[in-house]
Amino acid sequence: MASAVMRRQLALSVQVAAVFLIMLFGLPLFNYFFPELANRKMFGFTASWFFLGVLFYPLTWVLSWYFIARSNAMENDIARTLERGEARHEQHEAGEHQ
Amino acid sequence: MEAFLPYIPLTFVIFIVIATIYLGIWATKKAKTASDFFVASRSVGVGMNAAAISGEYLSAASFMGVAALVMKHGYDPLWYPVCYAAGYLFLLLFIAGPLRRFGAYTIPDFAEGRFDSPGFRKIAVTFVLFIGFFYTMPQMKGAGITMSQIMGWQYWVGIAVVGSVITFNVAIGGMKGITFVQAFQYWAKMFAISVPVFVLMSVYGGYGTNMAKAVDNPKNVPTLEVGSTIQAPGKPAVVVDQPNTPAPGAQTNDTWMQPFGTLTKKHGYPLLYTYSLIMALVCGTAGLPHILVRFYTNPDGRAAKRTTFWVMVLIGVFYIFTPVWGTLGRWAIPELYATGKTDAVVIALPKKHESPLMGAILSGITSAGAFAAFMSTFSGLLVSMSGALAHDIYGRMLRPNASPESRLVAFKVAAVIIGVVAMALGLLVEQFDIAKMVGWAFAIGAASYFPLLLMGSWWRGMTRQGAAAGMLIGGVLSLIAIVLFMFIDSKVLQIKLHPLVLTLIEQPAIWGVPLSIIIMIVVSKMTARSIPADVDMKMLRLHAPEEMGLSKNYIEH
Repeated sequence: MASAVMRRQLALSVQVAAVFLIMLFGLPLFNYFFPELANRKMFGFTASWFFLGVLFYPLTWVLSWYFIARSNAMENDIARTLERGEARHEQHEAGEHQ
Repeated sequence: MEAFLPYIPLTFVIFIVIATIYLGIWATKKAKTASDFFVASRSVGVGMNAAAISGEYLSAASFMGVAALVMKHGYDPLWYPVCYAAGYLFLLLFIAGPLRRFGAYTIPDFAEGRFDSPGFRKIAVTFVLFIGFFYTMPQMKGAGITMSQIMGWQYWVGIAVVGSVITFNVAIGGMKGITFVQAFQYWAKMFAISVPVFVLMSVYGGYGTNMAKAVDNPKNVPTLEVGSTIQAPGKPAVVVDQPNTPAPGAQTNDTWMQPFGTLTKKHGYPLLYTYSLIMALVCGTAGLPHILVRFYTNPDGRAAKRTTFWVMVLIGVFYIFTPVWGTLGRWAIPELYATGKTDAVVIALPKKHESPLMGAILSGITSAGAFAAFMSTFSGLLVSMSGALAHDIYGRMLRPNASPESRLVAFKVAAVIIGVVAMALGLLVEQFDIAKMVGWAFAIGAASYFPLLLMGSWWRGMTRQGAAAGMLIGGVLSLIAIVLFMFIDSKVLQIKLHPLVLTLIEQPAIWGVPLSIIIMIVVSKMTARSIPADVDMKMLRLHAPEEMGLSKNYIEH
C-alpha cells in the first residue's frame, strides 16, 4: 500500500521536476548553441538576461502553484481510498480550504 | 557637516542591531521554554512563517554577494539567485512533504528515526559543523567589508567587533530562532534592497536603461571619472588624470552581458562549470539543515506547502532586485573593478549620490540591511552549531548524564568557541567572493544531506550503512576538493592542475551528487540484510497523508 501511494506522489513530483529541469538545464544549452538569439536585445536587456534575471522567478511560482494544487487533490483522493469511513469528512474539509 | 556624515550609516547599523536584540529578548520572554517555542509557533500564520523562513535564508551572500558577482562577472552569476530561489521548488517536490509527515525536522533526527541508528546521528552532526563553518566565513567577510566601508576600519576590526557582538548575544541567549524576529528581518532586508535602488534609478536611469548601455556598445569598457582615486590591493593609490580611462579589471560589455563570461569560462569549460554550479545550488538549497526545521512550525501539511510557495515569492522578488545593483554599479562606480572590492557595491554605490546627505542615508539603509543579513544567518548558524556540539556531542556522547544546567553551560561555551573559530576563519577569506563561498557551502550540502534526504524518503531499500557511506564520501570529497581549490586559487599551494580538474574541484557538485547517490545504492544493496524490519511502516509514515495521524514527533526534547 505504501509503495502505491509513494509511486503516485513520485509521479507527480517527477512530472513537475521534468518541466523545471528542462527550463533550468535547457537554458545553458540554448545560450551555447544559439548565442545570436540569446543575445538579442529585448526591453534594453539581452533576451537571455531578461529570461533568467526576471521571468524565471514567476515561472517557478507557477510550477509551485500547480504542484500544490495537484498534490492536495491527490492527498484527498488517497485519504479517501485508504480510509473510506472518514472519506466524507476529508472531502468536506478540502472544500473548506479552497 | 562632512565630519558627521559617516556616523549616519553607523546610526542605522546600531539601530538595527539594537532593534533585533530587543525584539529577540522581548519575544524570548513570551516563550518560556524550548518546547514552548516550537509548540507556540505552530499557530504561526502562513505569511509570517514564510517571511521568517525568507528572513533566515537571505544571508550576506544574497544581500551583498549576488549584486557584487553580477557587477564583476555579468550574466553568469544570475544563476546564483535563480537557483537559491528555485531550490525551494525541489525542496517542495521531493523533501518537504515526506519530512513533514515523518515528523523529523533536523537532519540528525531524520537520520536516527529513519535508520534506527544513533551512531549515524554523529555523522550527520559532523556535517552540521562542516557546512556551518563554510557558511559563516562569507558572513564574517560581509561584516568586515561593511564596517570598512562605513567607518574606514581595518577588515579584521570589523570582523572582531561584529563577530563578538553576535557571539556574545547568542551566548547570553538573546537570539534564538524566533519567528517574529526573523520575519522582521526579512522585511528590513527587502526594504533595504529595494527602496534605495529606486532612488538611485531616478538618478542613474532604470534597470533596462543601464543594461542597454552594455547591449548597445558591446565593445566598450566602463571608464573612470577624472579625479577619482583608485587603490589596487598592495599598490599605491593612483589619481585618474586622463578622460576615458578604462577601469582596470573590468571586461568589455559583450563579455559581461553574455552567457559564458569570466566566471564560467575561466578554466575553459563553461558548460560544465555552469551545470555543476546549478546542481550545487539547487540540490544544496533542498538539503539546507536550518531551513527544514522551519516547516515544522506550520499547523499542517497544506499550510507547509502554501508557506513554501510564499517563500518562493518573497525571496524571488528580493532576488529580482539584486542584479539591478550590480548593473547600476558597473557604470556608476567602476573604480571597484580596479580595487577588487566589488563585494562592497551595495554599501558604496549609494554614497555616489549627488547629495552627500542623501547618499549617507541610503548607504545607512543598505548597511542596516547587510547587518540584518549577516546577523540573522550568523546567529542562526551559531545556534544550530552550538546546539549540535552541546546537545549531540557533549550531552549524548561525552556526558550522557549531564544535568540541564551543565548542558546550558556547555551551550554557552560551545557558542563562544564556534564564534571565535568563525571569526578566525573569516580573517582568511577576504579575497574570495561572498556569494561563491556560500555556493561552496551549498555544494557540500548537495553531496551529503541532499542524497540522504532524497534517497531516504523515496527508496525503501536504503540501509544505514549505505546512507552513511554515501553521505560521508560524497560530502568529504567535495569538501576536500573545494578547500584544495581555495588553496590553489589563493596561491598558498603552488601546483598546476589540468583546467578540467580545476573546474571539477572548484564546482564539485556535478560529480559529488551522483557519486554520493551511487555509493548509497551500491552499499545498500551489499548490506540489504540490515534494512530496518519496520521499513514499510516508515515508508508509510513518510508518504501517507498527514490526516491519518501516522507521524511521530521527534522534536520533543
